[in-house]
Amino acid sequence: MARWGMVIDLDRCTGCQACVVTCKAENNVPVVTPREAQRGRLMLWMTVIPEVEGEFPRVRARFTPRPCMQCDHPPCVKVCPVQAMTKSPEGTVSHVFARCIGCRFCVQACPYGVTYFNWQAPTWPKDLREALNPDFAIRPTGVVEMCDFCHHRLQHAREEARADGREVRGEGEYVPACVQACPARALIFGDLDDPNTAASNLAHSPRAFRMLEDLGTSPKVYYLKEG
Amino acid sequence: MRVTRRGFFGWTGAVAAAAAGAQTVRAIGDLQAATYEAELPPRGIEGWVASVCQQCPGGCGILVRTITGVEDGVKRAVKIEGNPYHPISRGSICPKGVAGLQALYDPDRLRGPLKRAGARGQGQWQPVSWDEAIATVVQHLRDLRARGEAHTLLLMAGQVRGLMQNLLLRFLEAYGSPNSLSTASGCEAAQQTLLLTQGIAEPIAYDLENSAYILSFGASLLEAGWSPVRQARAYGHLRQGTPGRRGRLVQVEPRLSVTAAKADEWIPVRPGTDGALALAMAHVIVSEGLYDREFVDAWTFGFEDWRDPAGTTHLGFRSLVLNDYRPEAVSAMTGVPIQTIVRVAREFTATRPAVALAERGAGFYTNGLYNRLAIHALNALVGSIEVPGGTVTQRRPPFTPLTPVTRDAAAVRGLAAPRIDGAGYPALSGLGAAKNPLASSALPSLPEALRTGSPYRANALFLYYANPAYSIPEFTRNPELLDAIPFIVSFSPFPDETSRHADLILPDHTYLERWQDDPIEATWGPAVLGLRQPAIPPRHQTRHTGDVLIQIAQGLGGTVAAAIPWKDFGEVLKESFREVAGAQRGLIMTTPFEEARQRRQADAGFWLPTYKTFDEFWNQVAERGGWWDPAYPFGDRERAFRTPSGKFEFFSQTLRQRLETLARRGPASGGGLEGVLRALDIRARGDRVFLPHHEAPRFVGDEKEFPLHLIMSKPMSLASTRTANHAWLAEIPDVRTSRPWEIAVEINPETAHKLGVKDGDEVWLESPAGRLRLRARLYQGIAPEVVHMPFGSGHGAGGRFAEAWGANPNRLVGGEADRLAGTPALFATRVRITKV
Repeated sequence: MARWGMVIDLDRCTGCQACVVTCKAENNVPVVTPREAQRGRLMLWMTVIPEVEGEFPRVRARFTPRPCMQCDHPPCVKVCPVQAMTKSPEGTVSHVFARCIGCRFCVQACPYGVTYFNWQAPTWPKDLREALNPDFAIRPTGVVEMCDFCHHRLQHAREEARADGREVRGEGEYVPACVQACPARALIFGDLDDPNTAASNLAHSPRAFRMLEDLGTSPKVYYLKEG
Repeated sequence: MRVTRRGFFGWTGAVAAAAAGAQTVRAIGDLQAATYEAELPPRGIEGWVASVCQQCPGGCGILVRTITGVEDGVKRAVKIEGNPYHPISRGSICPKGVAGLQALYDPDRLRGPLKRAGARGQGQWQPVSWDEAIATVVQHLRDLRARGEAHTLLLMAGQVRGLMQNLLLRFLEAYGSPNSLSTASGCEAAQQTLLLTQGIAEPIAYDLENSAYILSFGASLLEAGWSPVRQARAYGHLRQGTPGRRGRLVQVEPRLSVTAAKADEWIPVRPGTDGALALAMAHVIVSEGLYDREFVDAWTFGFEDWRDPAGTTHLGFRSLVLNDYRPEAVSAMTGVPIQTIVRVAREFTATRPAVALAERGAGFYTNGLYNRLAIHALNALVGSIEVPGGTVTQRRPPFTPLTPVTRDAAAVRGLAAPRIDGAGYPALSGLGAAKNPLASSALPSLPEALRTGSPYRANALFLYYANPAYSIPEFTRNPELLDAIPFIVSFSPFPDETSRHADLILPDHTYLERWQDDPIEATWGPAVLGLRQPAIPPRHQTRHTGDVLIQIAQGLGGTVAAAIPWKDFGEVLKESFREVAGAQRGLIMTTPFEEARQRRQADAGFWLPTYKTFDEFWNQVAERGGWWDPAYPFGDRERAFRTPSGKFEFFSQTLRQRLETLARRGPASGGGLEGVLRALDIRARGDRVFLPHHEAPRFVGDEKEFPLHLIMSKPMSLASTRTANHAWLAEIPDVRTSRPWEIAVEINPETAHKLGVKDGDEVWLESPAGRLRLRARLYQGIAPEVVHMPFGSGHGAGGRFAEAWGANPNRLVGGEADRLAGTPALFATRVRITKV
């Protein structure tokens, strides 16, 4: 069985944020008002974190794309009292909105801050509602939501593979929307257990590291250092 | 803790109750989800339409996912992704491209033709029928022509190319007006660089994919470049595309932009001194003999001192840089350490292929064109012109030129009039030409012409993808200047600042609803022709501007109608593609693998098309997204160098010719060449005028009163002025600051400390031209004497989101221009900051 994972090459990433916007479009992630956004309630399942260090004129800035880390030992799943946060047999963590009671234990537990709470019912102007993706539910107020590696795209790929009587290939057939969009080819996606995929190869590269690795969460998102 | 029996049961009971409760909650949750699911558009049949994005001029191929509802039969666009066959985008997309859905479904779009109801600028409208609207335009234009004032019709276009451009220019020519104005001033300046050095009036394109060393002078490679997708891909390739090799990127600019942040080295430079820095590097390259001797000897003119037929000795580029641009002197002027100048110059020559970029930054000062010439001279020194990894020029698709327009008496009279903006290229006629001898369009001169009514009054204005009241500083501050024009027609699909002053708005379809060709320009070498086709049928009572123009021409009749004889835009579109199909070159866009196979065949002398008839060609183009010709003739110097000497010219004979012609004619300025130079504010004299040199920049505002320089950038999400109404993009306006819905002024912490300003404080940003109230953000990555603001938000019109956030830095920009190039000097304004 495939173990889906992502490799993010920080040397290739240009901080363009195509991943951020394409994720919003793909998953019907609501836009919040400027006031709400200023209170830190912006919902970006995929986001690019800027860091600046040094003093003029010796300054460096870094951009780090941050999706859900898709931990092998996900703290969010452990704390969820209603099994809304689940880990699939393939290891992908996803969230069943209909079960969520909005307790936000997962928000507290996640060391990466990738779970988002719907403080308000999502609203779209009438025209913009037309552009919603019918493959993916809208979340009501009081429910947490997060990146699930575009699980509906996997289902789509799986249906097609099943029609041919086979499994989804470890590379190329199923990619999350952000990976599809990335112009610099900084996001690489595939089966981490299949030694023939670019993702598994790069995950073993000497440049590879994982975010807050010492916490023991074993993320399936790897980063490649610059340089 | 002591556990009693009773306590134990009580506790387990609570757990049981909680579990039962959870189940109830789950059931409610399911119900809730079902309710919300009902808000989704109905499920239906999926389709993908290949088209071309128009959120910026990049010309990336896109695939639009559509769902045709089973129940209501309505076709909806639900996602935009990159087109894997299109050579520019190769399956990827940028944030603006994705957000195109919010242009299509913009809740504030114009839904049909409108007639102004209130006073100009009030924004009160009344719907009219298309027939009535077109009849009104025809009536006005006919009257104008009958009065012998055909030349007073102005066309202002921003992003326009391909057939729409041909149609508009054809219409103007047949009607009898020379006044086609462009708001794309960046392209204008880029064209002049090649005109002066290589004799071709085309923008410079760069073969970035194959470069190993990119030395960029303020180019916004990773923010607002064309196409953002191709440039990001080229960047990724530069870094990690070739095993064992990591290409270098060096960025010269006063602020640590995204490009500078991703560069190996950021060299902060004082505003307006980029050209001097480039020449100091040239000094090092020349004095150490590191230049490409073979190329310089065989293919350049004016490197060594030379003698003209009359026997006069002229200054060569070598002597110029050796004498005038010693790194010690330039270091003091630019603020760049001597060691850095020397090291970067050596690196630039040691790593091949290397290329120097001069887009945006360095070109936005009053000495912009000379800066660009100096930077392009670096490319000549290392022979990086028309070679893989160097500069290239965009090839065009093989459209056959349309038949010449028959001009009637009114047209001949109209076309003989000088241009209203005094742009002098190519005709170099009229009095105004002395003001803008190289510009093919010089918008900075238009406000003056409107104010004074000289050389004549403008009587009608067409606006096509142009919004000068937002994007041109002088019109931003005084949009009322436009009211001097009695009849204004806008073709904008969205409300905007300039359209507020229009008498009629005839909204075009959005780019996701219309047919159009999209040949890329200034992006790359090979010819690429994308086909834009409707993803969904038009949602509102809008009409293709091509069709509207044809209907106006038909209404005018005579030679104007004869010049545009087509039934509709679709007909002329197909006709042009027929030419491409018959050109016996290139291929339908396809996978890289298939492309490689076809190219091998082509190299072996076989051109095996995948189509036999035009219909087959057309269907394949529509399915795949377009046609392109991967072949690029690197090293074709005859095509690349069309100067009087047939070589790359350090000493520009083209510039000399034009200025001397002007001097001979002795227009208003008088006093020969001296007078011309004085009119153009050029301080250099003698041969230096025609050589790349550092021209001291002029700034608006007194240095004591306004101690800071204002620079701007176009962040990735705002690279076109139209994307501010897309909420997805407003949430992420600038990756550097990552603050939603916020446009702030960036200031160095040291400077801020002196002013008593803390991060997040409200401040007044003030220039001699105006002031803005903004939040200040402290940033280590900006030079102490510089402040920065992103451009693209702060709209006075354009929709509920666009009007709700941001600020427009153009309000502060003073009236300085690069007189020689005829482009606005956007970075030539001094400002001060005061706490609110």
